Amino acid sequence: MGTAEAAGARVRLVVGALLIASPAVAQTHVLVACGLGGEPRYQETFLATGLAVARALEERMGVPRPNIRLLAEDPARDTMVAARSTKEEIDRSLAAMADRAAPGATILIVLIGHGSEGPAGPRVNLPGPDLTAVEFAALLERFGTRQVVVVNAASASGDWVREVARPGRVVLTATRSTREREETQFGRHFAEALASDEADRDKDGRLSVLEAFEYARREVVRAYERDQRLRTEHPLLDADGDGVGTMEPVATEGDGAIAATLYLGGQRGGTPLAGLAAVKDSLEREVARLRGRKPAMDAGEYERRLEGLLLELARVNRELRAEEGRR
Amino acid sequence: VRRRRVIGAAVAAVAAVTAGAQAQPSGAARVALRAHREAGEYEEAIAAARRADLAAELGELLRMTGRYPEAQRVLTAARAAGGADSLLVILQLGLLREELGARHEAFRDYDRLIAAYNRRRGLTSAELAAVGTAVERLSMTDPQLARDALRAFDEAIAADRDNLDAQLAVGALFLARYNGAEAQATFERVLARDSLQPRALLGLARVARFSGTGGVSALLERSLEINPRLVDARVFRAELLSEVDDHAGARREIAAALEVNPRSPAALSTRAAVAWLTGDSAEFEAARRSVLDANPRSAIPDLTAADLAARHRLYADAARFARQAVARDSLSWRGWALLGVNELRLGRMDSGRVHLERAFAGDPYDVWTKNTLDLLDTLEVFPARRFERFQVVADAAEVDALTPYVAPLAEEAYASMARRYGVTAPPIRIELFRRHADFSVRTMGLVGLGALGVSFGPVVAMDSPTARPRGEFNWGSTLWHEIAHSFHMAASRHRVPRWFTEGLAVYEERMARPGWGDDASPGFLTAYKAGRLLPVSRLNDGFVRPAYPEQVGFSYYQASLVCERIAEGHGFDALVRMLRAYGNGRDTRHVFREVLGVELDSFDGAFADWLEHRFATQLAALGSHGDGRGAPPSPSTVLALARSRPDDFRAQLLAGQGLVRDGRLTEAVPFLERAKSLFPEYAEEDGPYRLLADVARARGDLGRAEAELAAMTARNERSYDAHLALADVRLAVGDSAGALRALDALLYVDPTEPDVHVRLAELAEAQGKTALAAREWRVLVALDPADPVTAYYRLARAELAAGNREAARRAVLRALEQAPGFEPALELLLELRSGGGDGSDGSVR
Repeated sequence: MGTAEAAGARVRLVVGALLIASPAVAQTHVLVACGLGGEPRYQETFLATGLAVARALEERMGVPRPNIRLLAEDPARDTMVAARSTKEEIDRSLAAMADRAAPGATILIVLIGHGSEGPAGPRVNLPGPDLTAVEFAALLERFGTRQVVVVNAASASGDWVREVARPGRVVLTATRSTREREETQFGRHFAEALASDEADRDKDGRLSVLEAFEYARREVVRAYERDQRLRTEHPLLDADGDGVGTMEPVATEGDGAIAATLYLGGQRGGTPLAGLAAVKDSLEREVARLRGRKPAMDAGEYERRLEGLLLELARVNRELRAEEGRR
Repeated sequence: VRRRRVIGAAVAAVAAVTAGAQAQPSGAARVALRAHREAGEYEEAIAAARRADLAAELGELLRMTGRYPEAQRVLTAARAAGGADSLLVILQLGLLREELGARHEAFRDYDRLIAAYNRRRGLTSAELAAVGTAVERLSMTDPQLARDALRAFDEAIAADRDNLDAQLAVGALFLARYNGAEAQATFERVLARDSLQPRALLGLARVARFSGTGGVSALLERSLEINPRLVDARVFRAELLSEVDDHAGARREIAAALEVNPRSPAALSTRAAVAWLTGDSAEFEAARRSVLDANPRSAIPDLTAADLAARHRLYADAARFARQAVARDSLSWRGWALLGVNELRLGRMDSGRVHLERAFAGDPYDVWTKNTLDLLDTLEVFPARRFERFQVVADAAEVDALTPYVAPLAEEAYASMARRYGVTAPPIRIELFRRHADFSVRTMGLVGLGALGVSFGPVVAMDSPTARPRGEFNWGSTLWHEIAHSFHMAASRHRVPRWFTEGLAVYEERMARPGWGDDASPGFLTAYKAGRLLPVSRLNDGFVRPAYPEQVGFSYYQASLVCERIAEGHGFDALVRMLRAYGNGRDTRHVFREVLGVELDSFDGAFADWLEHRFATQLAALGSHGDGRGAPPSPSTVLALARSRPDDFRAQLLAGQGLVRDGRLTEAVPFLERAKSLFPEYAEEDGPYRLLADVARARGDLGRAEAELAAMTARNERSYDAHLALADVRLAVGDSAGALRALDALLYVDPTEPDVHVRLAELAEAQGKTALAAREWRVLVALDPADPVTAYYRLARAELAAGNREAARRAVLRALEQAPGFEPALELLLELRSGGGDGSDGSVR
């Protein structure tokens, strides 16, 4: 893993500030816990990743600072760190979050560090006693039906999917099993996903859980390929609560379909679309349907119909913007 | 040397005495006969066989010494008489018939042996081994029979542990089935029982060549010391010598073999192949005719010539000979394989596959053919991008990311070389492999090749930039190098020796771009001082028979210096004339005399003088420390040493490195400066340029940092980090054009990093280089970026700016296909539809 500075130093494709904070995101509550490093290098990289996640959520995703709690091995290392990342502190933090979060709120928990497997099952290494997946799942019970998104970016995190999953929870892990015990890169790339426009693949100005997962997964693969190393981390996503993770989810089915509708930093406002906005929305859906039929269509015919729909969409979009300007 | 002979004579004497005492003439005579045979005393062995009336052994010995008619008489009579050894006689008759082209009759003989085996009437170990040999011969019609042959040999060995002939046959069977490990173990078991068994040593030599483990010559030498008349060993040595262009040596070996057996098909075929290679058509025809007169269906002359031609990179000739081989003998699976693989080297992919499949059907043990067929399955799905003079063939995942750089570089190389060499190479197929193992199989049918690229003339195959860890090589210089080989082959009609084409190709690299091509290293000059470099007359050995691991690399550079020296003294055209002279069949000695007007020996001396003059400072600066690498002594010792030895490169460099490590940057500078002046070619990551650049950056002296990094990258073609740092520094001092140049050069190290393309594209846009910007966005899109929508959108903008309206439309549709709500792209689509935004004035952004 590199430092947070290194992670932020990558060149970005910038078109404009597309991720715009909306009032709805106030309903997201975040806990980021950086585990025991074991040696200074890991202590530093875990904290750097945790800080990158927390800062991106605050600065780019619009989650208010009071809704973000960052725990780390050494709280003195950065002012953003609220407390030491012990098992007791995680428990206390989640309890406080459960008290504060409204019924419709989204709970995002990010675990960063070393993972392993012990007699009590998979666990993440913390200062003091470790936290097992079973214990962690029990801590989540207090959130009831609220939407919980767990990102375990630690090594050997794969089996957390099985232990933590249930309907209403989304679980992302850096590895596919506890056997993948090498240092992971998933957390760093997940932080990058939150910090840039690149991960927002459909350019709708919001970052879905699926988009963030896909970005991080692809960048992990790319990094291993670039370095000519055998891949020792295969990230998983479980969104339907069945405890079986998907390695390459797609937006049209299963875990991917659910994760595509969940947004990090808040959901789309509840007001029904009307007028030109509804037309635009309908045209976008039409494009998605056409894309689904692409493999079975003649290439020329597909292009012609795609361009027709998109031109229509562009005109509607322009009218919509003009209308908004008049208001 | 002659221990085996002494032992042979002694054993023979003891056997004779024992035979007399025990009244078992045939058993004792066989012992004596074998002792003579293994010592190469064939006449004595023949006499012993005659005395004891051992018809099978006598027939075999007569065949081995080329006395075919007499062998036939002896064996036919023995068979008619139906003695106790009739099965052994039948085998020998079959082998003789096969050698004389009567394969059908021979196979009938072999079938009789199988029938005898199936009747199970208590066969002796020798008879079981004869069955094994017969079945092994029949396996050319049914490859599965090889297993039955092995079973018969195993039974023969079980019946008599001392049956070394059976064990030797097993070793040969394994080697013929490409199982080097089992073959080696078998031959070693034979040697454990008889450490002076010459055929086992020959077997091990063949295994060593097959496995590429080295030691071939030493094993062969030992074999011939024991039996200097072993025909197979002489022929094998002739093959090895002809591979390194020692044709006179090869001829001597063949002559020695023919002295034993003037009708040896292998020896005569090798004589013909060497004659063909050296342009002696009369000897070629005569030797070839000798084989074919005895056996008109023999594929051996053509197979031998095909093999030797391929080893000399004469692939079209190799394919032609292989085709003739299979025309004579359709069961020559080796012939089909040689035909197929050489067709692939010539770019004839379809027929190459067909013929390899035929080879594999007949010999499914052929690991080269199997690997190559597997590779063809991969190659078949590689897309090809076609140009007038090139095809670029690469994995679908990277073909469109590589082609924008590969094609223009290849075109540049082609145009430059066509002009300078005065020839036009055939259209070249450039294959780029993401997996080094695939490239290795493409080159030699096996994994494990250390090279980066290979040129077969019309086909260039090489590692793609992603096949190796970043910084291991510069793919641009590698491609240039391989294309140079294609021209050298064209200019010399494929007869350029390895050392010359490699040296000239490296020299070509150095002329193509600053920093490309090898440079002098402390290791190279240390080897020179130690007398470990080869004279030009033997430089080929440095490539094909290196005496130490670094010798191949040193030989590349040395050969390039030879070419540089020739170009300096006689002009580049002299190098071209040398290629033509090689094409006319001249050897290196004649080429130097005719083209350069110098004798090779005097050139060697002049070259040494030139090298010592050119690298006088560097040679003096090597001190007594060797090559500047290795574990450093303590810091205080290093400093003291550096102060006491200001002209010692390694002492200066170590002092500078140590001071930089300790943060004593100001103190480090004079030592690094001194190291740089003593050995300016040393531009590695731990060298003075990089360290001085780091010191300068730390001090905020970006101008100095830029100068050091520019100097480093002008000498080091592989350093990704140095090129990147140079771009950063240039940007920091406002030199965006220079930054763009640095990033452009970086692409020849690794063109697969998306961020670099974004930076290049944006720099190009800022400088109004719209075509360059469009290229970079196109490549980014091809690299499957994390954010394809924005990449397509930026590409569409760039295409529009470059005046490519239709390409812009396609790109924006790709962006919107994935993100239909992406407003900037929707606006661009409308803009394109309305006909606006065209032009390259940068207003589009």
